[in-house]
Amino acid sequence: MKILMLGWEFPPFFAGGVGIVCYELTKSLSTFSDVEIEYVMAYGPKDRKLSEKINLSSANKPFKNSKQVNISKIKSSLYAYEGPSEYLHRFSKILESQSNEIDIKSIKEIYGENLINEVYLYAQRVLAHYEDFDFDIIHAHDWTTIPAALLLKEKTGKPVIYHVHITELDKTGGVYGNEDVFKIERNGFLKCDKLVCVSNYVKNRLINDYKVDASKIEVIHNGGISDLEKNNFPSHSILADEKVVLFAGRMTLQKGPEYFLKAAKKVLEFEPNTKFIMIGGGDMLAQIIELAVELGISKNVYFHGSYSREDAKEFYSRADVFVMPSVSEPFGIVPLEAIALGTPTIISKQSGISEVLQNCLKVDFWDTDDIAHKILSLLKYKVLHSHMKNLAFNELDFFHWDKPARDFYNLYNLLNK
Amino acid sequence: MVAICFYFQVHQPFRVKEYKIFDIGKNDNYFDDKLNHDIMRKVAQKCYLPMNNLLLELIEKYDGSFKVAFSISGVAIEQMELYAPDVLESFKKLAQTGCVEFLSETYYHSLSFLYSKDEFRRQVEMHRDKILEHFNYVPKVFRNTELIYNNELANYIENMGFSGIIAEGWEKHLGFRSPNFVYHPKTTSGNLSLLLKNYKLSDDIAFRFSNQGWEEFPLTATKFSKWVNDFNGCGDVINLFMDYETFGEHQWESTGIFEFMKHLPDEIFKHPDNCFVTPSEAIEKFDKRDEVDIHEFLSWADTERDLSAWLGNKLQDETAKEIFNMESKVLATNDEKIIHSWRKLTTSDHFYYMCTKFWADGDVHKYFSCYESPYDAYIFYMNALRDLELRI
Repeated sequence: MKILMLGWEFPPFFAGGVGIVCYELTKSLSTFSDVEIEYVMAYGPKDRKLSEKINLSSANKPFKNSKQVNISKIKSSLYAYEGPSEYLHRFSKILESQSNEIDIKSIKEIYGENLINEVYLYAQRVLAHYEDFDFDIIHAHDWTTIPAALLLKEKTGKPVIYHVHITELDKTGGVYGNEDVFKIERNGFLKCDKLVCVSNYVKNRLINDYKVDASKIEVIHNGGISDLEKNNFPSHSILADEKVVLFAGRMTLQKGPEYFLKAAKKVLEFEPNTKFIMIGGGDMLAQIIELAVELGISKNVYFHGSYSREDAKEFYSRADVFVMPSVSEPFGIVPLEAIALGTPTIISKQSGISEVLQNCLKVDFWDTDDIAHKILSLLKYKVLHSHMKNLAFNELDFFHWDKPARDFYNLYNLLNK
Repeated sequence: MVAICFYFQVHQPFRVKEYKIFDIGKNDNYFDDKLNHDIMRKVAQKCYLPMNNLLLELIEKYDGSFKVAFSISGVAIEQMELYAPDVLESFKKLAQTGCVEFLSETYYHSLSFLYSKDEFRRQVEMHRDKILEHFNYVPKVFRNTELIYNNELANYIENMGFSGIIAEGWEKHLGFRSPNFVYHPKTTSGNLSLLLKNYKLSDDIAFRFSNQGWEEFPLTATKFSKWVNDFNGCGDVINLFMDYETFGEHQWESTGIFEFMKHLPDEIFKHPDNCFVTPSEAIEKFDKRDEVDIHEFLSWADTERDLSAWLGNKLQDETAKEIFNMESKVLATNDEKIIHSWRKLTTSDHFYYMCTKFWADGDVHKYFSCYESPYDAYIFYMNALRDLELRI
């Protein structure tokens, strides 16, 4: 059984959660001896910083020993999670940074005028490359690969699995999504043979906001991160006087940074020495810094801007509490990284991971009283802090990819009949 | 002959409300009056009222030969006084038939025996007074919270003057002994008899009745009576002990649980040697066959049948220790409300909600819990304790 997987770059190229999921899932699927995966990766220089890092062989590395996985790169400027305006911004920046005409020409070759345009260009390139290729099932990750998947389906008649990691409406917190993106998604939901959501949370979004027929949808929860650096004895425990509460994620509507700050204000009324650290860039950063000033708590709030996974580790092990107040989080793998470094977590119920993670405290993102109450509880009750920390650490063992890979394997067999 | 001994546990805790850190020092009502009211009303409609009616009908129909026993915690009675006087009335009616025995327990359905014998004794006495007040009955047989039992408890209960005590019939402690006889608790001096729950037959009704994956599904009164008859000649008394909420609440009416109970006596009486007894009658009627020696604490909960449903994780151990450490200070206040609040916090359920055995018996703990997680249960409870501390 041959799977044509339309995926994203693997770590260390930081493509966010979807890159990790693609990598872990492919790795676990390759343990089934009768599964072969042709892994198609949108590939091209993203910006100078990244292109300098690109090492052509590294992308193949994860599966060096596996004959079942072949990674092939299709030129494209697509980037996981990126929206139309972010794309244009990035495109213009890259062009500005180029000095000679040859570079500019080569960049223009792989950059469509706008994101939607590029998505369709990518689809044509994929089609050209694979229309005569022998495969059984198309497995496509997120909307940017859907036009490609549907073109191939039209040409070859092979079934498509649309693996839904996020929808446009999650990025905007449920309102005013980009209409073009919404249309491509909705078309994909209608025409693909099976929709696999990473959580019931996403499934409900599809049913309620996209009016998708529930019988088409299956939920397969993500596993965890297999190469997590684990250390349940963070060094900060000696600095017991200064408590640190951490937010890590892009400063966007979706991640709910303002709710973190509003909760911080309430915490500080009771525990004035608490420190709040917010790491992550994003379009709301300036606004969030201003909000901290407005709330009169800027003295206790520290900003870090964009961060690498390495930076994040430092912060996770330093923090006493990690908060993920996302407005809409289709899955949300980040709390697992905090837990792996010995930090208890408070997570939004508007997330997929809250359906599976047990040893954490759960909140509604808008209930800043409750967030504050839970932060204070973890800071105040040591037994709670240590018990939850330890059990969560042990719970990481349950987040492996065997089960999701097995579920996909069964689904492939079902569609391949 | 085989005698059937039914004992039903009736208990509702005063659940702690979502008492936040911000409330400490400002609010001395720790309990969720609305939730407690709603649950009592719901269970009254689904279980207590219809099942009491059914039992009353059966007692009348068989003219005194069908009988049962109840253990009703003091906090359950108190909530009936507050929210369900109709239920209390119907229990009184049952009491008046003379075919119903009431067992003794701690008023607050607490873990007090494990932490303070003085408080334990006081709570048992309070319960005795409450049962006497409502049902004009003085209990003779004791059952400890969640059937927590060991030799030491048996000794203590014998000294308090009880004639019988109840425990789980768990093989690990019984060895070759069958639970279907009356026993002598090893370390007692002969005045106390031990009745052991036949957990297999009890759980067939309480847990497996509606389980469609069970090979014996569906369970009929005829089938169950046949299993009972099989003990003829090799057992004196089959102790069917279970939560009363089994009827209509854990097993919904639509499962046919009421119909099952309605027909059970008929089927049981088809065998001329069968009868129904209450725990006191069983103790009088049957000789003690052997002695039973139980050192470690045994209970009827979870697959471990030990204390791990309530104690053992750090959250549970800390809170339990803290609440009982407050005893002398609380009592010294002589403040009725404070003492009553404190005692309501000794109820075992609070610790049950804090259980973090997620993957073993997690589901059943979740089913019984009104909190989002064991951590939330801990936080609200601890906050209430912090407030209480400020007041003593």
